[in-house]
Amino acid sequence: MIEIHGLARDFGGIRALAGVDLVVAEGERRAIIGPNGAGKSTFFNVITGELRATSGTMCLAGTDLAPLTVWQRARLGLARMYQRNELFDPLSARDNVVLALTLRGGAYRPLRSPTRAEQAGADAILDQVGLAGREATPAQALSHGERRQLELALALARRPRVLLLDEPTAGMSPAETERITRLIASLDRSLTLLIVEHDMDVVFRLADRVTVLHEGRAIVEGTPDEIRGDTQVHDVYLGKAVEA
Amino acid sequence: MRRATLVRLGVVLAFWLLLVTFPQWSAEWASSRYAAGIIRQILIFAIFASSLNLLVGYGGLPSLGHAAFFGGGAYAAAIAAQRLGTDELVVSMGAAILGSALLALVIGFLAVRAVGIFFLMLTLALAQMVFAIAFQATDLTGGSNGFSGVHRPTVFGADLGAASDLYVLVSVVFLLVVLLLWRVTTSSYGQALVGVRENERRMRALGYDTRTLKLSAFTLAGTLAGVAGALAAYEFRFVSPNDVALGTSVTGFVMVLVGGAGTLVGPFVGAAVVLVIERVLPSQLPIQTLLGIVFILFVVFARQGIVGAARALAGRVRA
Repeated sequence: MIEIHGLARDFGGIRALAGVDLVVAEGERRAIIGPNGAGKSTFFNVITGELRATSGTMCLAGTDLAPLTVWQRARLGLARMYQRNELFDPLSARDNVVLALTLRGGAYRPLRSPTRAEQAGADAILDQVGLAGREATPAQALSHGERRQLELALALARRPRVLLLDEPTAGMSPAETERITRLIASLDRSLTLLIVEHDMDVVFRLADRVTVLHEGRAIVEGTPDEIRGDTQVHDVYLGKAVEA
Repeated sequence: MRRATLVRLGVVLAFWLLLVTFPQWSAEWASSRYAAGIIRQILIFAIFASSLNLLVGYGGLPSLGHAAFFGGGAYAAAIAAQRLGTDELVVSMGAAILGSALLALVIGFLAVRAVGIFFLMLTLALAQMVFAIAFQATDLTGGSNGFSGVHRPTVFGADLGAASDLYVLVSVVFLLVVLLLWRVTTSSYGQALVGVRENERRMRALGYDTRTLKLSAFTLAGTLAGVAGALAAYEFRFVSPNDVALGTSVTGFVMVLVGGAGTLVGPFVGAAVVLVIERVLPSQLPIQTLLGIVFILFVVFARQGIVGAARALAGRVRA
């Protein structure tokens, strides 16, 4: 589903990504871990098109992503749950999701209101992410955990083929972390997931395979068990996480 | 249609009927004709402010060059009528719509690449270029002397020369623009504009081509400003570089902010407040200073404008 080869991104003289290779199969759940500054966020920004790659190739289901803009990649089926929520604050939770749904209908429709079906569809997605009963609440009035759930709802509403999850449990309480982890685990298995996450329990629960990024390179790839037992990974990342 | 929408539509139509029949039911008053003239001008500027509100209030696009389309429409209507030797409304209004739409498309194409303060500066700079053209193309526009002797339009030969006929024309166009903007702002498209205002990054990530979205709103707003400009040309029978100047853009902006950005009624209320201060208060008063004070008071104490503040108050009373 995703094929990335030699992906690099420079900021002035600094190499944030130094030639990353990553191949993810359809329906696979891949975690990307690594210490702060390893290039994980840059990696996501380059995949979604918010940053241009300095060099390298990226394909989504055989389509070259390089010449496409952010919105064109989104329409190809690439969705993202941001690390810092990117919501429409004054709008209700329902209207937030409706915005994602109306686009699926095609044109921008300057003379038609959102349909009942779209509103019902939005409510169904909110129900799926555990926000039933909060449909009419403005996004800015939701709790942090609920806002993360709405963030996920927005990403899911477009029925993506590939979903990038950027630290889905960031800033959450243990109970909220448990809820969103279960939610992600329950997503349709046909959906390909790329997960950046610092919480190793969450990573090992969700991921089929794990890629470790270090200094802008993918240094190791394997199953969660293999990664747990890898000494190099312990040196650059897991050891530090345990010490901390 | 939902019941709440029907009620609102009823209120709008009732208010409009009251407005359009004003010259009749106020005929006994001594100042009826004078008041009708002021209302006509309020409606014209309300169209202008409403079009700017689509950008400022809904799209979060603070344009400081909106006069380019107002004046552009006014010049297009006047020049087309003169050069083609006809006063037909379809011709002059058509020229205004086409001219301002094209101008807005070109200026918007460049401006929507920038955001925030840069968008504001870019619209200002590009509108100043239009001003310079209006000022220097003396053969076409009359330059600094302005374009005088604009005729009142005819509709399929029927003369609308009388002030009362113009009143009806302005009222009808005002109603059409209000209904159009109402439909647009409550549609999926209008919601998408609000989405761009609130979070353009997320809109792109959802798959919206936000640049095209903003350009289409910019063009629609510019076109409606051109319609207001054509009406102003009929009203004053005169077009001058002032109509494309920064002062007119700022006046529109003040009307939107004082009335209430992002509300349908706000620009109308704002236009009424500004024009009453400008044209009804005794001219011995320092009018521009007064306008400035009103504007500052709203920016400091009631950023949501008159309509927004009234809504907040109503909400508090209900709660």
